[in-house]
Amino acid sequence: MSLFYIVLLPFLGALLPGIMNAAGRAACAGVTFVVTLGAFVGLMTNLPAIIAGETVQASIEWLPRLGLNFTLMLDGLGFFFSLLILGIGLLIIAYARHYLSRDDHMGEFFTYLLLFQGAMVGIVLSDNILLLLVFWELTSLSSFLLIGYWKHLPEGRQGARMALTVTGMGGLAMIGGMLILGRIVGSYDLSVILQNRELIQDSPLYLPALILILLGCFTKSAQFPFHFWLPHAMAAPTPVSAYLHSATMVKAGIFLMARLWPVLSGTPEWIVIVTTAGLITMVLGALIALFKHDLKALLAFSTVSHLGLITMLLGTSTAFGAMAAVFHILNHATFKAALFMSAGIVDHEAHTRDIRRLGGLRTLMPVVFTIATVAALSMAGIPFLNGFLSKEMMLEEATHTVLFGSDWLVPVLATVGSLLSAAYCFRFIGHTFLGPVRDDYPHKPHDPNMGMWMPPAILAVLVVVIGTAPFLAEPFVKLVTASLLGAAAEVPDAYLAIWHGLVPALYMSIIAVLGGLLLMLVFAPLLRAWEATPRPEAKAIFDWVVNGAAALAGRVIHGLHNGAFTRYAMIAMVTIVAAGYHAWATGTVGPATRAVQPAGPVPVAGWAMLVAAVIGMVVLHRNRFLALMLIGIVGLMVSVAFVFLSAPDLAMTQFTVEVVTIILMLLALNFLPNRTPVESTLLRRVRDGGVAILGGLAAFALSWHYMLRDAVAAPISEFHLANSYKGGGGTNVVNVILVDFRGFDTYGEIIVLGIAALLIYALTETLLDGPVRRKLLNRLPSQPRSGDMHPMMMVVLTRVIMPVVLLVGFYIFLRGHNEPGGGFIAGLIVSIAVVMQYMASGFAWTSARLRYPYHGVIGAGVLVAGFTGIGSWFVAKPFLTSDFTYVRIPPFQEFELATAALFDLGVFLAVVGAVMLSLESFSRLAHRDGDTDSEFPMDIDPSREEIGPDQPDAPVTGKGVG
Amino acid sequence: MIGTDLQIILPEIVLSVFAMVALLGAVYTTKDKAAGLLVWGTAGIFVIVGLWIGTTGDETREAFAGSFVDDGFARFAKVLILFSAAAILLMSQEYLARRDLLRFEYPVLVTLAVVGMMVMVSAGDLIALYMGLELQSLALYVVASLRRDSVKSTEAGLKYFVLGALSSGLLLYGASLTYGYAGSTLFSDIVASSVDGVSLGLLFGLVFLCAGFAFKVSAAPFHMWTPDVYEGAPTPITAFFATAPKVAAMALFGRVMFDAFGVVVADWQQIVAFLSVVSMFLGSIAAIGQRNIKRLMAYSSITHMGFALMGLAAGTVLGVQAMLIYMAIYVVMNLGTFAFILSMEKDGMPVTDIDALQMYSAREPLKALAMLILLFSLAGVPPLVGFFGKLYVLRAAYDGGLAWLAVAGVVASVIGAFYYLRIVYFMYFGEEREPLDRNGSPVLWGVLMVSAAIMVFGVINLFGVEPLAAAAADTLVN
Repeated sequence: MSLFYIVLLPFLGALLPGIMNAAGRAACAGVTFVVTLGAFVGLMTNLPAIIAGETVQASIEWLPRLGLNFTLMLDGLGFFFSLLILGIGLLIIAYARHYLSRDDHMGEFFTYLLLFQGAMVGIVLSDNILLLLVFWELTSLSSFLLIGYWKHLPEGRQGARMALTVTGMGGLAMIGGMLILGRIVGSYDLSVILQNRELIQDSPLYLPALILILLGCFTKSAQFPFHFWLPHAMAAPTPVSAYLHSATMVKAGIFLMARLWPVLSGTPEWIVIVTTAGLITMVLGALIALFKHDLKALLAFSTVSHLGLITMLLGTSTAFGAMAAVFHILNHATFKAALFMSAGIVDHEAHTRDIRRLGGLRTLMPVVFTIATVAALSMAGIPFLNGFLSKEMMLEEATHTVLFGSDWLVPVLATVGSLLSAAYCFRFIGHTFLGPVRDDYPHKPHDPNMGMWMPPAILAVLVVVIGTAPFLAEPFVKLVTASLLGAAAEVPDAYLAIWHGLVPALYMSIIAVLGGLLLMLVFAPLLRAWEATPRPEAKAIFDWVVNGAAALAGRVIHGLHNGAFTRYAMIAMVTIVAAGYHAWATGTVGPATRAVQPAGPVPVAGWAMLVAAVIGMVVLHRNRFLALMLIGIVGLMVSVAFVFLSAPDLAMTQFTVEVVTIILMLLALNFLPNRTPVESTLLRRVRDGGVAILGGLAAFALSWHYMLRDAVAAPISEFHLANSYKGGGGTNVVNVILVDFRGFDTYGEIIVLGIAALLIYALTETLLDGPVRRKLLNRLPSQPRSGDMHPMMMVVLTRVIMPVVLLVGFYIFLRGHNEPGGGFIAGLIVSIAVVMQYMASGFAWTSARLRYPYHGVIGAGVLVAGFTGIGSWFVAKPFLTSDFTYVRIPPFQEFELATAALFDLGVFLAVVGAVMLSLESFSRLAHRDGDTDSEFPMDIDPSREEIGPDQPDAPVTGKGVG
Repeated sequence: MIGTDLQIILPEIVLSVFAMVALLGAVYTTKDKAAGLLVWGTAGIFVIVGLWIGTTGDETREAFAGSFVDDGFARFAKVLILFSAAAILLMSQEYLARRDLLRFEYPVLVTLAVVGMMVMVSAGDLIALYMGLELQSLALYVVASLRRDSVKSTEAGLKYFVLGALSSGLLLYGASLTYGYAGSTLFSDIVASSVDGVSLGLLFGLVFLCAGFAFKVSAAPFHMWTPDVYEGAPTPITAFFATAPKVAAMALFGRVMFDAFGVVVADWQQIVAFLSVVSMFLGSIAAIGQRNIKRLMAYSSITHMGFALMGLAAGTVLGVQAMLIYMAIYVVMNLGTFAFILSMEKDGMPVTDIDALQMYSAREPLKALAMLILLFSLAGVPPLVGFFGKLYVLRAAYDGGLAWLAVAGVVASVIGAFYYLRIVYFMYFGEEREPLDRNGSPVLWGVLMVSAAIMVFGVINLFGVEPLAAAAADTLVN
């Protein structure tokens, strides 16, 4: 059968149990069994090719650009593992059929089981390492679902989480390793990779690849220091434990190490890492297993220990070690699955797995007793059982292994491991089955029906057959070993036999078994000593690491993201400065193309004032009114700087805008307390100050750099200077740009300005209609108001000034085309004149005297500008083409008439309207309850016979109009 | 001529006209009453325009003297933007309506944002770029504070606005420097001007442009707005933020880097690689301690942007292709995840604490399974589609000579897997809690299931996105 079908059959079949759930338990199990059997038979059809030493391949393109193809390969090693997966799978399915209770959701369980099975077969048949990764993680996913199947068990939760976290992360690490490996070889196909031993081992990236791949293998196969998750995953139903956690999934890591053995093994790094990890796991696992009371936990740690044994054998990097590993994989799969199933039967029958509550089951469950004893003795390494054979080989290999320059370390530890292993096997048998029959079992146990004990029995028979007639298994083991070794080594000239003569391994074996028996004799005091010894609990450490990491991450992140705006701005600022510095440091800095101009006394004085104002601002910023005045100075100095730099238009604009904004901010001060409270510590202020200075210096450096260098293209000002008069009829280039070159732009701007003002008006209206109004009216003044808010002197002065200012505005407007000035500035000047009336004479008095609504003024401005633009259509010119001519009307001199002036009028109107509308809207917010708007311009007017309402000792006459 | 130009930008024109007509129409007629209908209509138009753009041939057309480019790359991104925006609109309709937040401005603003995004990805000129970017950003600032009576929502909007303005300023500064030292705003001229080495001025421009883009894609260390805005904004808006604008900004980033600075790859490669590695790690580590699923998704998106930037950093065709595929997968995963988050409610109130998901699988096994698939996919666990996205960018970075970045990416994905798996753990093995409501908005359910199914069945051939992305990447890089 094609390899595709072998892999796909379980996946496709996974749909069936879910669908057939309603058809009953037997149907579910039956269909699962048939599907697995189909795959199994399919695998067997490839047996002749395998025996002939061929490699069966199948391939279709998947995502070729990614190097990911669906390529499968079946050789001896893959066949061996597939056989284990499918063969034990069949037994497990039969067993689970009887094990699961009536309440369990059979369809769901078997669906997950088949998914898992398919993924496992996929791993061992993959030819492409990326495809292997895909299947690898699919086993994590489906095993998670299987472990989670019995979610009502509280201890299951932690176990599932650990299993998922550890193996999931290991798998992700392996992605990195596989990518590196594929990159070194230039192909992601295993068949290619396995041919390139030298290339891989000589690569400088060998070590990172090795570490990342081993991380994946060790986490999956529960090798030290990741051994802790496996026992905690044992809360899963027993069929799952038997299948995933002893026979298949945990062997995936072993499989990968075996698969990559030809190219990765043999280096000092490999030997040290793999052998050490395996050795520690073997001893540690066996030690913990000895003192576990839960039958499944005991078996789980023993699995850990045996996986360590296999890992160690692979780590030694000899052909004999590899052969021993293959043989032990086979043996371990048989006896451990049988043991798990037996433990499951005990649990199922006696309703407990606690070894302290068991004992004496020998007579109650004779069949299970026989099966379990055979399997456990095999695990202990008793002759004529298969465990003995591979353990002998392991000890033999250990005597030849040198680690860390010591030739006794490995043999001693291997013997200790075997000894402990024998001890827990004896304990398993002794404390469960031997001893007196008790009368306090949670449930009276007896042998289950045949469906349940048959699967482990089949395995037990295998244990005995291989144990007594190892020559039967020898050709197969050698076949698998040959495909494992590949081109890297020859199959060793050893043979599988019970009797090898009086070799050291035999003595070590005898020591192990006798020592194990001895340990059982003194088990009670040992247990007390063990329980009294403080030892690190892996689960606690895991929790501690997880919680610690979470807490640490929380602290770090809270430091960065505490919601404070200043912090965000600071991080951004520092990063930008650093990035700029990096650009400066790595880029090529060309020489300055312009000379530094000498600084005269005037600019220096201006600069000094600017700096003084800024420093004063920093020092005094808590007093808001003072701060506002200092801002005014800064703005003024900037305007002066524009004058100095020969930009009078800009200066005038800046100056007028400055006045308007200061007025706006004065209004805002109404709503704010006088002083800014101190909210930050001195340290923080110093830090923030440092960052601010850094930013300032960076800005300085940038401008310095740019001012000393020419841009690549000629500045556009040349063009404007040349064309200003010719095309626009004006000699004031700035104004011509505004009304002509970029007239369309200006037109858009005045519209936006108008919209903004209208929006402010609309918002104010909404605000004053809503619930906010009450709040605004009732706010408490921070200090008593002046009794003379509209002093006579100011009223008189503003009135006198008014016509003068208007005239100035008109003058500025008219001269704009040729001299500094223009509609925009004129608009601001006129606005200031009107605003002064508001300030001096009061809101009510002033608005009563204004005839035109500001909305209309804005609209008129936009319309005037728009019609001016449209006008050019009548002479078949594009929108906003300007024209000018000279006329002479006696008695005046000849003067210029330009359509631009008309456009400028639009600008002027729009600016006046927008500024006034927004300021008026804002000022309406400033009203407070009890405020009275006087109809008179002055609060104190000797010509009136009344007392101002705000005078403290005067009775309120009510004459003020509200 | 102008006629041809207009024809090229016809999709954008259609959407703009639709937005304005809808706005005026709604103001003068039904106002919020027909908002639901408008949402569905807008989504429908997005889908139609998306199909229209998607079926346009594969030639490259330029409008307005090269300032607007309609090529395979732009079309790929536009289709992604339109479809994801349509999905978000549909997902948000019921949620917003039940909370009295469904205003007719919402679909209009989303439409305007989408037009901005389309201009962004098609920009061939710094001015067009800025115009598109600001159109998008301004619309987003407003929708971020859609819930006007919530302090958190308004704070989110304000923060986003101020930091966004800062970044726009930076970007503009960078653009003006670039203009000053390249002598043109056209990308093709900029790239021509840097053929014989890049001047320091241009380099500064590049740095500032990158900083601005980094803000828009929320790459660390310019990511600070993301968690606050994601948490503060109403959940459908958060979902929108996490999808379409990210695609647009990422595509724009790629567009500018290749079209305008394509000959100085080494200069921006290090910046992008830096952004990538910092984002991946910061996002992964920061999410570990999060209990609020919206904040968690914010950090998650930062991490994912780090991965997408890894593709860009490779500076190769494969890198751009990887970035596009990554973004496409990212968008689908986020749509599904947010569909789930939107359906998290207790007593009709939205819940965002991940503790509320404890033992979710016992009550809603199917939804829990779908979410499990999405979370595994977000974590990049094979064989789900999320893994292929990661594989593409890792390979691209590796082949592009950034082995260290690829290894760092693997490490970051290992760290990042932790918090996704924790949610899965809560759903399957938590402790019994008060259950969430079983509300069944069919749209949310459908989006969740479809995106989970895509994560599973996409492994077959990624729904044919691969060759499309490859073609799109080819048009950009060559």
